[in-house]
This record gives sequence, structure tokens and C-alpha cells, in this order.
Amino acid sequence: MTVPKPDHSLDPPASFIYTGPMSTRGRNINRFSLSLKIPDNRKSFLADPDVYMTRFNLSEDEKALVRARDWSGLLAAGGHLQAILKIAAALGQNLWHIGAHNAEIPVEEMIAACPRRVGGLPEGV
Amino acid sequence: MAQVIGGFGVSHSPSMGYEYDKGIAGQFDPRWKIWFDGLQPVKRWLAEMRPDQIVIVYNDHLNHFTFDAYPTFALGVSDEFPQADEGFGLRPFPSLMGDTAFGWHVANHLVRHEFDLTICEDMKIDHGIYSWLPYVTAPPWPAPVLPLAVNMVRHPIPTSNRLRKLGEAIRGAIASYPGNARVAVIATGGMSHQISGSRFGMANEEWDRYFLAHLTDDLDKLVAIPQEEIMRIGGTEASELALWFAMRGALSAKARHVYDFYTFPQITGCGVIVFDEARA
Repeated sequence: MTVPKPDHSLDPPASFIYTGPMSTRGRNINRFSLSLKIPDNRKSFLADPDVYMTRFNLSEDEKALVRARDWSGLLAAGGHLQAILKIAAALGQNLWHIGAHNAEIPVEEMIAACPRRVGGLPEGV
Repeated sequence: MAQVIGGFGVSHSPSMGYEYDKGIAGQFDPRWKIWFDGLQPVKRWLAEMRPDQIVIVYNDHLNHFTFDAYPTFALGVSDEFPQADEGFGLRPFPSLMGDTAFGWHVANHLVRHEFDLTICEDMKIDHGIYSWLPYVTAPPWPAPVLPLAVNMVRHPIPTSNRLRKLGEAIRGAIASYPGNARVAVIATGGMSHQISGSRFGMANEEWDRYFLAHLTDDLDKLVAIPQEEIMRIGGTEASELALWFAMRGALSAKARHVYDFYTFPQITGCGVIVFDEARA
């Protein structure tokens, strides 16, 4: 399978421009995610993910996205990339896993495909 | 009075930091060795310039600030800025040191010149600074740092023109600081890159090289480009390039281009451009 060349689209699923309303929607996901910067919190989360996520008022749907490592779903639910990266880190994954999931290709293919070169200058220059 | 002696713009990325640590411990990934080698002239330049203070305009990545309170502009005024744990553990580098007398002077000047920033007496620093810093200097860090964090993680972000004006205000703050301190101004933001969505990993070398080629003498032209256009062709996080305008704005129009370098190791365009001011 060849990895498609990125286009110039700023719309999902090609791109997520993080805005205020997304931040409001993702408030619980982001607070939960960023709590995982603290090593002891990472331990508590891994010991009992469900109890830990309940402490941050995650909905059942949001918890299911975390359990499924559904990084695209978490972004669509308002999670910020820099925040859900902390969940990935706690679970032994990293940015590549998120990017590959977003592009719906295996991690190894994404690593091999990068940098995914495009050209072009801003309009009018 | 203090004076701006020069500065540079440089990319940052988490992998730049990890790959440095791996490279120093053993063998550099060849793609990152290119960047390491490309920054050696910057390292020499910084050592020769002997700055007494270093102002760094950068962006945090939800590693110190959270959305509970996310400032658009935040200035760190403290004797010490610890490294932030981004979730993967701390890297083997000491805290940055700060100079509160200089920091309060700059804070006062900026607010009096209509940049009403958040002043932080506790600010942990993430890869926005730590990823490139070891490539251009080594501990003990050569001078106190004054970190100025700009929101680049949630829109609306400040306009390109606002960041240029921020740079001009920083220049005014330095020029009104008593004494004869030599001050370098650095700005850091990724060049073309996008780290979420199906465009993940996009790389636009054509645009990045255009930016580097025009930052010296065509600032008006670059500042006029809508940020959405830059995100469209360079990736959503290429908007961080607007931070480089703060550095360029802090230098004089006739600042001299000293050096630039560019490579694209993995998922972020890695570039640097160095300027210095005519010696008085």
C-alpha cells in the first residue's frame, strides 16, 4: 500500500485546527491527559484505568476511546494532540502511533513514509 | 545601556531532543547528524558573541501551562527555570538560570508599551527550548535566559504582525536597560510540520527555504502572508514560524545575515538563521 501524498486541506480528517470550542468539548479529556505528566499519576492510571478516568469525569464514550487507543476519536472529541500524547506515553506509545492512526496506516509505514514531501508556496507570494 | 548583539531563529521538536541524547550516547541517526553538524557554526557564533542575557521567544506544548489557564503571552521572571517532564521522563540537563533584575525590567517595559503579559515566577520549560539548546551550547549554560512563551497550541494565536511588534518592544526593553549588557534574542518554532490528522508528517521544503531566504530583507512580505495560508501549505503547526518574527523584529532592519541551514530529518522542517548587529 502506498501512503498518499498530503493535500492542502485544513479540514478534518486531513487536519485539526485546534479552536476554543474544541477546547471546551475536550476539557475532561485534556485535564485527564495532562495529569499524566506526573509519574505517580501515570502509575495510578495504569493500575486501574477506569477508576482513574472516572476521577476526571470522563464519559463512558470517552473512556472507550482511551481503552481502544482511538487517537483519531480522541482528537475529534476535543482532545488536544499535545494532551493525548501524554496518554500515549503512559501506555508505551508515541507520536508515531497517533499519526499512523490518524492516517489509517500501520506505524511502520508511516515512519517509512516520513517526511511526506509536498511543495507549494502561499497564494500571492 | 544594554544592546541587542544579534540572534537567531531555530526549529524545535521533541525528537530533536531525544535524537541528541541518543546521538551523544553512541551513534547519531544519520538524518539527525546532518542537523547536529549544521548547528556547529551556530554554536561557535554563540560562544564568540558572549551574550550576557538571552531572551528566548518560544512556545509551550501543554507541558507547563494547561487549558485551566493558558496565557497568550507569558514572561518567566525567576532565578531558575526547571525542565518540564513531558511524560517520558526528564532529560539529563540542568535547569536554565534566569536574572530577575533583567526580567522585571523587561516585564515593566513591555507592559508599559502595551504588551500586557502574564508574569510567571514559576515556569517549567519543555522541548520548545530544551530540544535545540544542547546543539548550540552546553551546561553550565553560558548566560541567564528570559523565556517568553506565546500561545501556539490553541487558536486564536497572535497575528504575525503582533509578534513582530512584540519583537520591537523587546528591542526597546533591552535598549533601556541600564548597564552595558550584551543581549541575544532567539525565537524558536517548528518550520513546516503537522503532527495530527491524516496529513501527519507533511514536509514542505520549498516553503521553508522560501521563508529562510526572505526573513533577512523581506519581513513585510512574510508578515503579510495569512497564517491560514502557511498552515495550508506547510502544515497546521507551521504557524509557529510566526514566532520567528519576534526575533527578527527585535533586531534592526540592517542586521546582518550570518548563517543559515536547513534539513528535514523526519517530521519537522529543521532550519536555523543567524543575524548579528553591526559592532559599535
